[in-house]
Amino acid sequence: MKLQHYIGGLEGLPGPLTLDRRVFAEEWERRILGIHVAMMGLSGHLGSSVPAYAIADVPTTFRDMWTWADLRAGAEAMDPFDYFKFRYYEKWLSGITAFLVDKGYLREDELASRTTELRGQAARPPGARLGVAGGTVAIDEQIMAYLRNGDSPRRDVAHPKFAVGQLVRIANLPAGAHTRLPGYLRGRSGTVAQVLEGDYAYFWRTGDGIGDPMPVYIVEFTPVELWGPCAEPGAQTLYAELFEAYLEEPA
Amino acid sequence: MSGQFAYPQDREQSSAAKVAALESLLIEKGVITPETVNKVLAYFESEMTPLNGKKIVVRAWTDAGFLARLLADTPAAIAELDLPKGMVGAEGEHLRAVANAPGVHNLIICSLCSCFPWPVLGLPPYWYKDPVFRARAAREPRKVLAEVGVHLPEDTEIKVWDSSGTARWFVIPERPTATEDFTEAQLMELVTTESMMGVALAGARS
Repeated sequence: MKLQHYIGGLEGLPGPLTLDRRVFAEEWERRILGIHVAMMGLSGHLGSSVPAYAIADVPTTFRDMWTWADLRAGAEAMDPFDYFKFRYYEKWLSGITAFLVDKGYLREDELASRTTELRGQAARPPGARLGVAGGTVAIDEQIMAYLRNGDSPRRDVAHPKFAVGQLVRIANLPAGAHTRLPGYLRGRSGTVAQVLEGDYAYFWRTGDGIGDPMPVYIVEFTPVELWGPCAEPGAQTLYAELFEAYLEEPA
Repeated sequence: MSGQFAYPQDREQSSAAKVAALESLLIEKGVITPETVNKVLAYFESEMTPLNGKKIVVRAWTDAGFLARLLADTPAAIAELDLPKGMVGAEGEHLRAVANAPGVHNLIICSLCSCFPWPVLGLPPYWYKDPVFRARAAREPRKVLAEVGVHLPEDTEIKVWDSSGTARWFVIPERPTATEDFTEAQLMELVTTESMMGVALAGARS
């Protein structure tokens, strides 16, 4: 059981909540968001995505796959204490850096020495500082095309096993390195509220059954089913959107 | 455990230098260009902002037919509006609107990560990504909503949508009363990111 999969419903956390409306807590966080989006827009899988992009023709040296699934798997691989300790974009920075080092795009030592060199310098656009020539407009065009056209998991016509109104039980599969099944739903019973049109793929095969195109359902749950007799009183319904691999016939 | 949550004193300077180093190396190695990050940020700062969501909500408030179409087929209804190109782009591929009504209040969460309808609202604010919010909103949404100023009667049904799949949900909040004479611009001022995710009411002072 991994804490990151069981955030929903975790008890004993502090209140009252206040809403921190900032999108970025520190200026540097903008840069890692930008790098992450760029890597998603240059991801090798976009050659066969929906829509498909002429990704092999883009003059970037990036030749790997980088998707939300990769970023999420990194966060799910963290020490759970670190997951709570670090801010959102701190987790992104460490996950993305580890990936780029692991895949050989940069070396630990050159990153360390460049980091030392840049310490204390006012933030300046890296391109201007380094005098790197542009001329690779097609890289940015691809990233903007990805932003505007997306990467849809929708595939063929669905042949769903379950129908609206049907009682289903949520599977309790080993989560492995990455899952899209919230922990608090495992083993619980719900009712199919909607069957989505079409099948939906996931970026890669997670090891717990999703990846290949399959039907997706919106399943509704009562608070008592999820949280037992101590559930919060009052009229309430929780809806989750679940891949068919996560649903079973009722026990 | 004592050192578990200790942070280095230069926490932010260290991250700032590291991300600058990362970006400069990626440029030198031909992964991205000197303009890439700025262009991505400009997209979110100038085009994919909560203004898009405000326009959608105000149209839904002022055109019942549009609201019905929006709930039935969100992307198709959004395509009717004059919004930036990219509403079905990244994190907008499968937008789904849900509407508040008397006796029904919707709340959007993502308990596993931070799925957010980028084209409608831009990038997610920190409260949405906060593990404490994600944990508590799943189990005790009425209490969480009260803490942030949304006091709902017991018989108002709270519908919590956990964004675990492909849909990116957002909320059409209820139109505040006594706004019949408002212009579209005045109505848009009543709508916030928070009200479009269900942690505030439209027009609420917060």
